[in-house]
Amino acid sequence: MSNIAGKSYAMTVITPIPKIWAWVNLLKFWYSKNIRKKKSFGLQTLSLIHYARWIIIRPSQFPRLSSNQPKEDLHYAYMLFFSNFNGSWSQYVDSFHMAIPKGLDRIWKHNFKYPKSVPLQPFHRYILHNQIWTDHYYNAYPLASSNDVKAAIALRAALLEFIKQSENMSPEEFQKAYKAFLFYNQQHIAKMHSAPVINLADQAKVERVRLIESYEKTLRDEHGKPNF
Amino acid sequence: MANLISEPTPLTVLSPIKNGDDGSQTFASLTRKYLQSLDIHEKSPMAKVPNTFLCRFFVLNDVFFEGSPGKVDHLKSKYLVFCCNFHGDLNTYLREFWQNAQQEAQKIWRHCVAFEQVHDAESFIDYIKKCELNTTIYFNGSTGLPLDEQLKALYLKQEFSQFACEKQGLSAEALFEAFQKFVERTRPADLTGPTWKPGQNTL
Amino acid sequence: MPDQHIDLNDIQGNIVKAYGRFGYPKARYIFFQFHDVEAGRNFIRDLLPLITTGRPWCKDQPPSATTNIAFTYQGLKHLGLPTKTLHSFPEEFSMGMKARADILGDDGESSPTEWDPIWHHDKYIHMFMSINAKSLEALEERYKKIQDLLKKSSGLVTQLRGHRDGQRDDLPYQEASAIFVDGKPTPTEHFGYQDGISDPYFKGSGGNPLNVVGGGKPTRGDPATLQGWEPLETGEFILGYPDETKELPIAPVPTLLSFNGTFMVYRKLHEKVKTFHDYINNVGKDFPGGPEAVAAKMAGRWRNGAPLVLFPTREEANAFAQEYEKARELAATSAKGKKRYEELRLKRTGFNFGNDLAGSRCPMGAHIRRANPRGCLEFGIKDAFATPGALDNRRRILRRGLPYGEVTNPLSDDGEHGVIFMAIGTSIERQFEFVQQQWINYGNDFKLSNQKDPLLGNHDGKDMFMIEGGSPDNPPFFCPEIPRFVTTRGGEYFFVPGLTAIRMIADNLIDPT
Repeated sequence: MSNIAGKSYAMTVITPIPKIWAWVNLLKFWYSKNIRKKKSFGLQTLSLIHYARWIIIRPSQFPRLSSNQPKEDLHYAYMLFFSNFNGSWSQYVDSFHMAIPKGLDRIWKHNFKYPKSVPLQPFHRYILHNQIWTDHYYNAYPLASSNDVKAAIALRAALLEFIKQSENMSPEEFQKAYKAFLFYNQQHIAKMHSAPVINLADQAKVERVRLIESYEKTLRDEHGKPNF
Repeated sequence: MANLISEPTPLTVLSPIKNGDDGSQTFASLTRKYLQSLDIHEKSPMAKVPNTFLCRFFVLNDVFFEGSPGKVDHLKSKYLVFCCNFHGDLNTYLREFWQNAQQEAQKIWRHCVAFEQVHDAESFIDYIKKCELNTTIYFNGSTGLPLDEQLKALYLKQEFSQFACEKQGLSAEALFEAFQKFVERTRPADLTGPTWKPGQNTL
Repeated sequence: MPDQHIDLNDIQGNIVKAYGRFGYPKARYIFFQFHDVEAGRNFIRDLLPLITTGRPWCKDQPPSATTNIAFTYQGLKHLGLPTKTLHSFPEEFSMGMKARADILGDDGESSPTEWDPIWHHDKYIHMFMSINAKSLEALEERYKKIQDLLKKSSGLVTQLRGHRDGQRDDLPYQEASAIFVDGKPTPTEHFGYQDGISDPYFKGSGGNPLNVVGGGKPTRGDPATLQGWEPLETGEFILGYPDETKELPIAPVPTLLSFNGTFMVYRKLHEKVKTFHDYINNVGKDFPGGPEAVAAKMAGRWRNGAPLVLFPTREEANAFAQEYEKARELAATSAKGKKRYEELRLKRTGFNFGNDLAGSRCPMGAHIRRANPRGCLEFGIKDAFATPGALDNRRRILRRGLPYGEVTNPLSDDGEHGVIFMAIGTSIERQFEFVQQQWINYGNDFKLSNQKDPLLGNHDGKDMFMIEGGSPDNPPFFCPEIPRFVTTRGGEYFFVPGLTAIRMIADNLIDPT
């Protein structure tokens, strides 16, 4: 059980929002659900996020599948926030706080007791207090960050195009075209490996593996034959 | 030309868990225990579900009390939450979920209200849709292209980065030949292989 | 004039001054252990009059030697600080550097098992002391005074041995010194780079106000001028003052213990001189501009200190360096000379990467670009962030320290020579550890996947360093199979208290209730 799968972190936060403001927000965001369309340069430039979504759920919207299941009776509506991002928890929260504090405030503004994203410590506490830990997190590409995926898609598209265009070139023409290809795609060229060890749980796993390996070494002689 | 701005499909599912217990543990506790026991990365059952990008499961115990002057709220049921980003339309995705990971789906949702009515792909789709929540606002930093395209692209980025470095300084003829070999080996247009596996965590 | 809200008399001098720049080319780093609480406190009380503060020297005669001290978590524990106070220190500090090896990438040759013997035992090192001096004589004189004070403890405070110097591995201190050429101290380290050109400039530090250029945080103004920079908030470097998040940084309790104090990271970094020269010579055979250009691209500055962004060719860099050296010599002779020198100094630090977004002058992954992005993490998207330095301002570190050892045989990696690196800031985790883990040993924030800092990264010999090209005819150049040039030989995390706090520790007055 972990919030981390490779280079991705799953953050889930649930916060109360007074019902009247839930309606206001639902109306406000009904026109453009997609933040990207609102020219979210700050968010896009941060490039830490794979995917993020906010859901406002009114008490009557909690799924009720049987008459035996009691109806929810809540004072507040709730905002659910799901994010998949790269880096550590504090890097993520700090980046938002420093880079796009106004953007954050616009979304969370009417949540009950939201402390605003500046200064940092109350904001840290607010997120931490309302965070839910993940029981199972799956990432189809743990070795890739959001930047890696975007670079890979662009590189593949360019490579396919290059292969088509260079089909009938002579070696000399090809070499020239290849150099140009490298130049135009240099920002996509870099190799991937596992994520840096961020947390102590990961560090503990690394130590355990190391201990097991060194123990197993003692069980074999220098020719690799069992020692017992 | 790849559509770099295609969007993934969001899915957020809240399934109420039955109140009560099996004699020793609550149904919510059993659900959580099963979720936490699942293998991760390429061994996760979700790796078998085509076009799953990123997804999470957790048991929502209750809402949090923010402190005075706030009022205390309690949920009357606990909920199994499934939050997912995938490529394609919902019906296809859920059908393939059932077809490829039916056993695990049945174990995950086993203790949820009314799940005993689910016995095939269609009733599974029905059930999930009844539990689905509408997204209010979202941000996509990554693409929504089919997963096999993304995995192939990642594989190629890794291979080509190595190639670009290794084959630096070759003569025109040698480079030309090396590139042909590279294309033959990596088959950039072939999504079936060679490529990265879903959930692959080692190189 | 320093800001009046900071009492520089209460702050230890090594925080606000890089002594090396003030004419202190010699240093000795000494580590102690307390075997008795009272003896420890007495020793510290005796040291107090010797501790150098941050008081500006414009009024007084600078001392011939300086002394500063700092404590590990274990050291504070063995001085009898209350449990509640100890628990209020950050987690990474209480764990110590060795336990954070995986986070820092100290593996393989840099693994703690390879460190100097002094670092091998756990919970061993309690106190750090640095003596910086204008000459070896002044250093020995101060050292002798310390020894006399130590004797008074009758063995209840001991000086730890276990530093290596190439002949022995049980030395009682770590010696460090600027590299001397023709009898004069130079600001270079063993790979030949000029070091310590840029240092963070913060409110109240009392330094030359011109140092805000390149040292402060970027504004949206012209980086070549004073308008392009603002001082960083004091709280990024000294506890008890507002920081960049507009609040007081989290600090240990009680306030008087942490006020005017800070944290320090000490690392002994061995430099593999043969590996470095072999590599740039080899790769330089194929790279236009040769080995010197390869060295420049890896650092982001030519070895003579000229930044690539402003001086993209060797000729321009050399011409600038000559002019700079001449101006430096003339600076002492006239007001006009001083003005000219200061103008040229600004050229070494007054730049950002805004005109080099693609990295064709200074590679995206070059060392100085990683260590201080100067607002380039906005990737040229104007006004994307609230401020251009939003992602860098809280990752700055004050760098202190000197080279150690001599390169007696440049054809070998053996021998004891490298850099004693010290990083100062109010959060080890957020500043030093973050830069080390995310920007030195990783590359995602620079869109470089897992590519590491070419000079300092913990390379395994399998990865590459890409030097971006400038045009279709000038494609990127790949430096292949980059080896590890720098390995860790020891280190620890320390708390650097203010003078009041030192006195209160000595007098057992620390009480968090």
